[in-house]
Amino acid sequence: MSLVIDVQNVSKHFGKATAVNQVSFGVEKGQIFGLLGPNGAGKTTTIRMINHILNPDTGSISILGEPVSPKSQERIGYLPEERGLYKKMKVFDQLMYLAQLKGLSQAAAKTAIEFWLDRFEASSWKKKEVSELSKGMSQKIQFIATVAHDPEIYIFDEPFSGLDPINSEMLKEVILEEKKRGKTILFSTHRMEQVEQMCDDICLFNQGKAVLQGNLQSIKQSFGNNTVLLDFTGDSEFLNQLEGVRINNRSTNFAEIRLLEGASPQHILEIAMKHAAIQRFEIVQPSLQDIFISTVNDTKVSV
Amino acid sequence: MINFSKIWLIIKREYKTRVQTRSFLLSTFLTPLLILGFMGFIIFMTVSDNEAPKQVIVIDETGRMLEPLTQLNATRYLPINADQSIEQIRELIMEDELDGYVFFDQTFLTEGTPATFIHNGSGGITFFESLRSDVRDVTRQIRLEDNEVSDAIIAIFEERPALENRRLNEAGVDEQSNAFLSSIGGILIGVFIFIGLFGYGAILMRSVIEEKTSRIVEIITSSVKPIELMLGKLLGVCLVALTQFSLWIATYAGVTILAAPVAQFFINQRMGDLQNSLSSMDATGTAANVPSDIDLSFLEQFSIDPLFILYFFVFFVLGFLMYSSIFAAIGAAVDSEQDSQQFMTPVMLPILLGYMLNFRIAEAPDSTFAIIASLFPLTSPINMVTRMLVSNVPLWEVVLSILLLILSLIGMLLLAARIYRTGILMYGKKPTFKELFKWVRQA
Repeated sequence: MSLVIDVQNVSKHFGKATAVNQVSFGVEKGQIFGLLGPNGAGKTTTIRMINHILNPDTGSISILGEPVSPKSQERIGYLPEERGLYKKMKVFDQLMYLAQLKGLSQAAAKTAIEFWLDRFEASSWKKKEVSELSKGMSQKIQFIATVAHDPEIYIFDEPFSGLDPINSEMLKEVILEEKKRGKTILFSTHRMEQVEQMCDDICLFNQGKAVLQGNLQSIKQSFGNNTVLLDFTGDSEFLNQLEGVRINNRSTNFAEIRLLEGASPQHILEIAMKHAAIQRFEIVQPSLQDIFISTVNDTKVSV
Repeated sequence: MINFSKIWLIIKREYKTRVQTRSFLLSTFLTPLLILGFMGFIIFMTVSDNEAPKQVIVIDETGRMLEPLTQLNATRYLPINADQSIEQIRELIMEDELDGYVFFDQTFLTEGTPATFIHNGSGGITFFESLRSDVRDVTRQIRLEDNEVSDAIIAIFEERPALENRRLNEAGVDEQSNAFLSSIGGILIGVFIFIGLFGYGAILMRSVIEEKTSRIVEIITSSVKPIELMLGKLLGVCLVALTQFSLWIATYAGVTILAAPVAQFFINQRMGDLQNSLSSMDATGTAANVPSDIDLSFLEQFSIDPLFILYFFVFFVLGFLMYSSIFAAIGAAVDSEQDSQQFMTPVMLPILLGYMLNFRIAEAPDSTFAIIASLFPLTSPINMVTRMLVSNVPLWEVVLSILLLILSLIGMLLLAARIYRTGILMYGKKPTFKELFKWVRQA
C-alpha cells in the first residue's frame, strides 16, 4: 500500500540545537497514526514540516506521493497545538476566509461551513465575533476551520489538550467517523489512553529521534507478557520487598508491576498472598505508558 | 511561485476588516475637520493678535522721537504722564496694564546709543519686529530732515517698487504664484505622508503582532506562504491608506472647486440684500459705492494639479511598502508592542529626518541638499513630494528618485520577508539584532 505521508531521513536544526534528527516514518491510507513523545521531542517541528510550514534541512517529505508543496497543504487539515482565531472577526466570515485560503471556492466553502456549523449546533453563532464565544465554542469553530475543506489527511497537534470532556469525546467520535470515511489521521499526544484506544500505528519521539515505531499491537506484543496487575486489600508494604521488578503504578489497593530480568510472577504472588488478600492477579502486556517510559529512559541512558 | 489569488483573499480581508471599523470612519471624517479647525484657530490667533492693540510708553529724552511715533501709530505709542515715574510704569507693565516702554537716551540720535524696549514678554517676535521698523523709519526720517535732503531723494527712500511673483507652468503660461502658500502646502503634504507612513506602518505592525500572539498565523501559514501573507497584509493596509487619502483629496477638491462659486453666490446675495435695504431706506441710492464684485480668483491657487496627486500616490505607495515591510518584520520578531520599541528607533530615524528636512526643503527646494534628500530612498517619499509641490523638479530627477525607491523597496521586502518568515513562528525571548541578522542569512 502506498504511503499517504512519507517522511524520509528528515533533520531540522535551529541554530546549534537539533530539533529533529534523521527521522523516518510512513503513514498508510485510512490509518490513525500517533506521534508520541515528551515535550520538546520534536513532534511539533515534524508536524510543521509535514504541513510545509517549515522546510527540513535534509531529507524529504512526500504527501500522497508528491513532495510537500502549497498544493499538498490544501489536502491537509491542520489543527495546531496552540489554537488561534481572529478575535475581532465574525465566525462565519472567519471560516469562509480560512476555507478559501485552503483553495475552496466561495460557494463550496459556504456549503461546507453551513454543514459543519449545523453538525455542531453552532449555526446561531455565525454573526458573533470570536471574542464573544466561550472557550468550548471557539474550540468547535477551530475544529470546523480544520475540516471544512474536506481534506484527505488530518493532522492534529495535541488535539485533546485543553478540551473539556464533552468536546474531547466529540472530537474522538469525529476522528473515528472520518477514519471510516477513509481519511488518514496523524495526531500527536502525550495522553496514552487515547493512543491505545484509537491508534493503529505509532511513532515514539525522544530528543529529536524516532526511537520506536510500528503497529501498536505488535509493539506491545514484542514487549511480551511481562506485567502483573494486582488488586489487593491490606498493607501494601510488601511491594517494597519485591526484587527484580519495577512498580509503575501503585495506589492503596492496586499495583502495576513490571517484571525485569529473571523475576517470576509466581514468586510475586507468593509474597503478596502472605501480606494481603488478593482480589486480582493478572499477567498482561505492558501498557503503552510503561513502554513509553521505559523506552524514553533507555534512550536517555544510551545518550 | 506566488499564488496571487490567495494574496487577493488576504488583501480583501485586511481591507474589509479595517474599512468597516468605526475608527476608520471617525479618523477619515474627523481628521479634515480637525485640520480645518486647527488652521482656523491659527488664523484666528494671528488676526486677533494683530487686532489687540499694544500699548507702549515712549520715554523720549531726545525730544524728537515721540511725536513722529505717535503720528505713525497713535494707539500704540503713548507719551509718559508728567506725574509718572519709571518705577510706576514698570509696575504697570508687570501687572499687564501696559505692554512695555521704549527708552530713548539723550544721545540716541547724536551718538547712536541703542534704544531699549522693556516689555512683559507679550507680543512676540512680530511685534518686536514692527516696533523696530517703526523706530528705524522715524530715525531715518529725522536724519533726512536734519541733513536738508531734497524731496526727490526723500521720495526715493520712500519708494517701494513692486515685484510680481509669477511662476511658469508646464504649459508655458506664467501664472500668479504664491511661494508662501505652496511652501505651506509642501510642508502640509510632507506631514500627511509622514503620518501615513508612520500611522499605517504602526497599524500593520500591531496586526502582525496580533496574528502572532493569537497564534492564528500557524493556521494561515499552513495554507499560504509567509511572503504571501506579508504581501497581502502590506497591500491591504496600503489600500486602506489610499482610500482614506482619496476621500480627503476628493473632499479637498470638492471644497476648492465649490468655494469660489459658493462664496461668490453668498457675497452677491449679501450685496443684493444690502443694496435692497439701503435703497429702501434711502431713495437717493447711496448704495452705489458698495462694491458689487469681489475678486475671488485667489482661491484658484488652492486647487491641486491631478498629475501631482498621481505622483503623491506613487511616492506614498512605494514609501509605504518599503517602510511597512520593515514594520512587518519587526512585528514578526517580537511578542508584544513594548518589545518593538528597541527595533523601532532605527526605523523612525530616517522618517523623522525626512520630516524635519521638509521645512528647509520647503524654503529652498532646489538646493543641493534638497536634491539629495529627494533622491535618497529613505527620505524621498516625503521630501520629493514636497519639492515637487514647491518647485519645478526636472523629470529625470523624479524618475531617478522613483527608480531608487523601487530598488530599495525590493531589497527591503526580501530582507523583511526572511525575518518575517522565521519570526512569526518564534515565541519567547525577544531576539537581538545579531539573531535577526542570522535569520536573514538562513536562506
